[in-house]
Amino acid sequence: MKGAKTKGKPVVDVTGHLQAFGTGVKYLLQPRMTVRYPEVFQDFGPNYRGMLKLYTDRCISCTLCARICPSNAIKMYKTDARKYPGITYQRCIFCGFCADICPVDALEMSGVHDVAYAGLEEQVQKPEDFSKGPPIEKPPRKVKPMIDEKRGLRYERV
Amino acid sequence: MDIIQFLLDLLFSEAVFVPLIFPGLLTLTVVIVVIIWFERKLAAKVQLRYGPLYVFKPLGGIVQLVADLVKFLFAELIVPKGADKRAFLLSPVILFTFSVAPVVAIPLSSGYAAVKSDLTLLIVPALLTLAPIFVLILGWSSDNKFSFIGGLREGYMMMAYETTMFVAVLAMAVTYSSLSLIDIAGKQSNGLWGIVLNPLAAFAFFVAMLMTTARFPFDVTEAESEIVIGPYTEYSGIYFGLCLGASYAKLYVLSLFFAVVFLGGWNPLIWPLNLNPILPGVAVLVKAFLVMLFCVFLRSVYPRFRIDQALQLGWHKLLALSVASVVLALVLIGLGFEVG
Repeated sequence: MKGAKTKGKPVVDVTGHLQAFGTGVKYLLQPRMTVRYPEVFQDFGPNYRGMLKLYTDRCISCTLCARICPSNAIKMYKTDARKYPGITYQRCIFCGFCADICPVDALEMSGVHDVAYAGLEEQVQKPEDFSKGPPIEKPPRKVKPMIDEKRGLRYERV
Repeated sequence: MDIIQFLLDLLFSEAVFVPLIFPGLLTLTVVIVVIIWFERKLAAKVQLRYGPLYVFKPLGGIVQLVADLVKFLFAELIVPKGADKRAFLLSPVILFTFSVAPVVAIPLSSGYAAVKSDLTLLIVPALLTLAPIFVLILGWSSDNKFSFIGGLREGYMMMAYETTMFVAVLAMAVTYSSLSLIDIAGKQSNGLWGIVLNPLAAFAFFVAMLMTTARFPFDVTEAESEIVIGPYTEYSGIYFGLCLGASYAKLYVLSLFFAVVFLGGWNPLIWPLNLNPILPGVAVLVKAFLVMLFCVFLRSVYPRFRIDQALQLGWHKLLALSVASVVLALVLIGLGFEVG
């Protein structure tokens, strides 16, 4: 057999094995690098967009948001003689055009992007659901990633 | 009252207590659950992450394995079309049985052992040699190329480690001039443990133990990145759990054996241990657990050897080392060194 001979380092290389143990123990004693995600949340800064919230009392039913939406995620629903926007998160691409174009600031970007829905139907939101905004059960602890010269990545509390 | 007394006597008699409760099945289950959790936690810590956490959070997810076990129990068992059904279904059960069986030969103290024999040093490795045959059988009966390759690899590895292991055991038999584990543990009461007397044998046995139980860096049998999971590829549900549990059971039994032969058994017999004939076994278990902890720590340190490297190490280096350990034992005896 051609590959039978071990190429490169020999199998019994005592210093190599000791080095491996040393590295293992060294990393065993170092603090962790990851965060416990649902409870500890990486802060994305003030300009992060995320899911939308509708303020029905401000809305003037101009339908600009539904017109500007590039993925047809916003649709106007007729409720008591006026029309209010509803949203489909199956389509939304979080571009933020609707919030930008709204002349009365009735749409707000919440900065939350990680909501789990039990079914596809729940992602189609009529104005009454849309005005509740994304559900946030418990506000998570926020951290900010920092570049550390020694360790590489480090998280600091905001 | 007589019946209760009778049942208690029956429960605490050596022939029932040792195989079923301590250090047998019940303790084995708890130890496997804890050691696999430790394995995942250690690997996670070395890789600077958290590992299992959310199943019983106050203790860092220690019941994760119980959850996995329940999942295994409810998973469907699928028998492949071309499989030899009888061999496919029976061999994991027998494999697990033979992996656990040697535990009966481990003495808990000088007066408490299930097998009262002068040959217990031989019983443990002898019973363990039966297990790899069933790995070969289940690899063959699955009718799957990965299982078959895995089975053959187990066969190759078996040839490499068993010789080494037995020669290392022979060296210890010569060192102590006894084949009884109770005698051997008793002879270490002066503080001169087997690992000090014959470090060569201890090292050779330890590496052979890693090979037997498919720990890193010798997990060529299971080699996830090459042959799925080796001989166990076609298994599902609790049968898969049995196959995986068998290698941990082997690790547990061999660690107990290592603790008795090389790490002084229940010595030193300090205060709380000498109250009851069963309590010295706790010292053995703690030592064995530390050995197991080191073995599973290797997962986060090593990559995998190629099969030719593993075989080369087994035949060229370890066998020579174990033969040297026999020579060392003979020299010790020849110099008139009296052990114990």
